[in-house]
Amino acid sequence: MLNLFKIEWLKIRTYRTFWLLYLSYMVFTPLFIIFVAYKFMSTKYSNFEEMTLKALAGSPFVFPKVWHATTYFSGLFFIVFAMLFILLITNEVQYRTHRQNIIDGWSRMDFIKAKFTLLIFFVISAAVITLITTLIIGFTYSPSGADVVGGLKYFGYFVLMSTVYLMVAFLVAILVKRTGLSIIIYFVLVVILDNLLWLGLTFKKSQIGYFLPLETVDSLVPNPFKPAVFESRTVTDMALMISAAVYLAIYVYIIARYFRKTDLKT
Amino acid sequence: MSAILSIENLSKNYGAVKALQNVSFTVPAQTVFGILGPNGSGKTTLLGIVMDVLKATSGSYSWQGEQSTAAVRKKIGTLLETPNFYHYLSAADNLKIAAKIKGKGEEDIDNVLKTVNLYERKSSKFNTYSLGMKQRLAIASALLGDPEILVFDEPTNGLDPAGIAEIRELIKELNRKGKTIIMASHILDEVEKVCTHVAIIQKGVLKTVGSVKDVMNTSGSTEAVTTVLVELSAADNDSLKNVLQQMNGVEEIITVDHHLQITCRENITAEAVNKFCFENGIVLNQLNEKRKSLETRFLEITGKQSDR
Repeated sequence: MLNLFKIEWLKIRTYRTFWLLYLSYMVFTPLFIIFVAYKFMSTKYSNFEEMTLKALAGSPFVFPKVWHATTYFSGLFFIVFAMLFILLITNEVQYRTHRQNIIDGWSRMDFIKAKFTLLIFFVISAAVITLITTLIIGFTYSPSGADVVGGLKYFGYFVLMSTVYLMVAFLVAILVKRTGLSIIIYFVLVVILDNLLWLGLTFKKSQIGYFLPLETVDSLVPNPFKPAVFESRTVTDMALMISAAVYLAIYVYIIARYFRKTDLKT
Repeated sequence: MSAILSIENLSKNYGAVKALQNVSFTVPAQTVFGILGPNGSGKTTLLGIVMDVLKATSGSYSWQGEQSTAAVRKKIGTLLETPNFYHYLSAADNLKIAAKIKGKGEEDIDNVLKTVNLYERKSSKFNTYSLGMKQRLAIASALLGDPEILVFDEPTNGLDPAGIAEIRELIKELNRKGKTIIMASHILDEVEKVCTHVAIIQKGVLKTVGSVKDVMNTSGSTEAVTTVLVELSAADNDSLKNVLQQMNGVEEIITVDHHLQITCRENITAEAVNKFCFENGIVLNQLNEKRKSLETRFLEITGKQSDR
């Protein structure tokens, strides 16, 4: 697997678009979260409404709650990595290098595994930058003796969420093949379709909506500023994680099965 | 000679289009094996299947007796259809990727780039290359790791006349070193000049296969009797004609300009004609056994319409 990643790295290490999108996430995400934290923590609340809101939300930028806040914001920008991942897969089809890789001696599964190492690379990158951001904010604003590792589960949820988002991107890219179309379809799925269906399916406190392909991981890291009293979810985190794992298994199966049997054309 | 590639009853359908129909043949070791056919006849489809980028509808194939696994493909140098490279990477970086996939070291890269005259441009990005340079880079990539088997699909595509001559010479040179080359082409002249063996494909159907000499001299599978063409002349062509009419095996005599052209059965040689004429009192001043050109055979086999 490491050898496959080394080859993937050769493909992207001098690719300008890759660095542009990669660094935009890696730099912009921590800066944005630190800025929000700074604004929030340094605001003096004058009126009662704002005071209440802050009290309801707790203090989202101190340990242990800071884990929830950072992973939530980091998740909002993660779509940048998903689009980059789609681009790197559909590029291969456009340049017909997916054929060439097989001709040169990869098996079809080697190609899929190589792209999977790239997926892991993106997940680790996002996890590391989110971890660093969390620690900076947490240690800046937390009183001494705060529960540093208390919110660590959100970090785990974030890793699961980013894996699911990238796997959906993987599936779309492999099936659709065209760069522009893949990104549009992915965007519609993630931003519009999933949310619309969620609204429809959670109507009257039904719980089915929480098991939608992307909502199942979105719900693990909900908006930290949303007061708990408005939360209508009753299914457990464990149920959502199992559902996410089932989705991942289905995606892997479809990708592998399709790519093994298809004619590699543009 | 052991078989490098065996193809058995290979068929490929794209929906209703039958791109290949029950194609079977064997590529012997150390040959230059040409796959000749008009555009769209199924040559690239055939090569795509044996390189596992396309899936056959039915039939099977094996490389040196083994199923086409990734390990087998690592030992074959291939240029399929068009040069496929990462546009934003340099030639050298593109070859690094190919070498790594093949499990070969990078020490070969400079050598293969020199072979195809691209060494000076090795740091240029692929998308700055001309069509001919791209093609030469693809050939360089196929040469990585000095493979025993090479597959070239239209290798001289996009090259200038000097480049074409160089690549043909390269292919012959590789063959002299004992390598087996499988080459698809729609250019008859190319196959005739470079190949030792040829398979002719038309509309996905294998028309004939064998050594180039056999395919040109014998009728392949379409004709029952084979013929030999002999051009000859004497001081008196009229008496020559009379004599020849009495010779067994001579089927047709035509007067062409200042000589005669006779069509004989397969067993007649120029030597026999010479002997027969001399014994009958005619001294020849010209005798030339003409092999049929591959072009003639190709047109005989595939028909003369361009709608093939």
